[in-house]
Amino acid sequence: MKNGTAIFLAVFVALGASWGGFVLAPEWQLGGAKQTTVLNSSELYPLGRPGEAYQGLQVYRANGCAACHTEQIRQSGVACEVVLTSAGKNPSAVSNLISTLKLNGLAKEDADAASDKITAAGGKTEIHIVASGPDIARGWGTRQSVAEDYLYDYPVQLGGLRVGPDLSNVGVREPDLNWQLVHLYAPSSVVKGSTMPPFRFLFEVHKIGKAPSPDALVFPKGSGPPAAYEIVPKPEGRELAAYLLSLHANVPLYSAPFTP
Amino acid sequence: MNPELQASSQPDAEPTATRATVPMWILVLLLLLLFLGGVYFDHHSGWFDAQVYRPYASAEELDAYQPKSGAAAMLAQGKRTYDMICGVCHGPDGMGKPNQAPPLVGSEWVNTKGFERLVRIPLTGLNGPLQVEGKDWNLSMAAMGAALSDADLANVLTYIRESWGNKAGPVTADDVKAVRAKLSAHPQPLNAEQLKALAE
Repeated sequence: MKNGTAIFLAVFVALGASWGGFVLAPEWQLGGAKQTTVLNSSELYPLGRPGEAYQGLQVYRANGCAACHTEQIRQSGVACEVVLTSAGKNPSAVSNLISTLKLNGLAKEDADAASDKITAAGGKTEIHIVASGPDIARGWGTRQSVAEDYLYDYPVQLGGLRVGPDLSNVGVREPDLNWQLVHLYAPSSVVKGSTMPPFRFLFEVHKIGKAPSPDALVFPKGSGPPAAYEIVPKPEGRELAAYLLSLHANVPLYSAPFTP
Repeated sequence: MNPELQASSQPDAEPTATRATVPMWILVLLLLLLFLGGVYFDHHSGWFDAQVYRPYASAEELDAYQPKSGAAAMLAQGKRTYDMICGVCHGPDGMGKPNQAPPLVGSEWVNTKGFERLVRIPLTGLNGPLQVEGKDWNLSMAAMGAALSDADLANVLTYIRESWGNKAGPVTADDVKAVRAKLSAHPQPLNAEQLKALAE
């Protein structure tokens, strides 16, 4: 073959460059990621998921939840908001001044300038940082997802398709264990028009014995099993619900700041 | 026959590529694109810093957008710590729980002018009989706040002094530091009598 060495080298460089870009560079950039602290506190973040929730990650994975749900919040912007905390000794002057100023959706420099003007007039202000973006507007989170959010998850369940809502903060939106379990057993009984398939094999149907099980699901009126029967979660169902409850990526971090 | 066709149909002529100079405009265009790419990289990449995500363009911009620890941030942080540590016994609403912990709402031990007694309670613990709002309690509280940093403890105390109708004013990290400096290395839990002997 003519120019065999050159072709080999060209292929080597092409594959090597993509390996460097897709594997090596991310490893350099994020491979050393470690536990961090919540902004303005010494509280550690993230904490490992409790045992049952960690098992639940594998149930989540086994049932292909990531095929329809994502765990990543996008953020497209950040803005400052000047908040008046005290009007000071001359409230009318401050209120006149405020009516002439823009206080929302400001860049940092503009917010500082507005804050300085109000302080000069005798008021006291705080500057709040507000994250914005399509997912935040939907109420799915308060800030974007960052690498630390996934530190102890293996494998990370980012997901790529949103047939259902994003789950990064589902433990904040629906903190009730019974709600999560009922939703897994019969989604449309708690979310009207839900297209999620029921995951009934994560539960057992029992005839109620001498006393009802303390773990039995409590259904909203008009749904649930016939009288004399009860629905009890299997260990997998309990683990999956514990995992869902452990999903809350809503604290301010250095890399994703906002004012809580 | 067409002379060109005739030339190409000669069987033993191996086709060879000749060397030609790259046109100057392509070089100029490539250099221009490289330059624009460099400018874009400089403005948007954050220089591959692991902490810098969009929409922040650089570590400096990210620094500028860190919220200052204003009163609202202190309260929010205090609430998080309270819910995690104190709220388990004193209740998320500060109303206390029978046989577990006395209420903080309206308590004369919380709504004090100074901080001398209040700061000591989480730092050293509190043992034995205690009167809160005219009711008798006899429990023991461990030094739940000893492991918290000065700022965190100040935030929690500020939260309980400013929430649920309490309006006793904030506690600063320096106040906590001052009280902590007065304690011995391994302080014993106090009782109500010892607390009352201290300044309010």
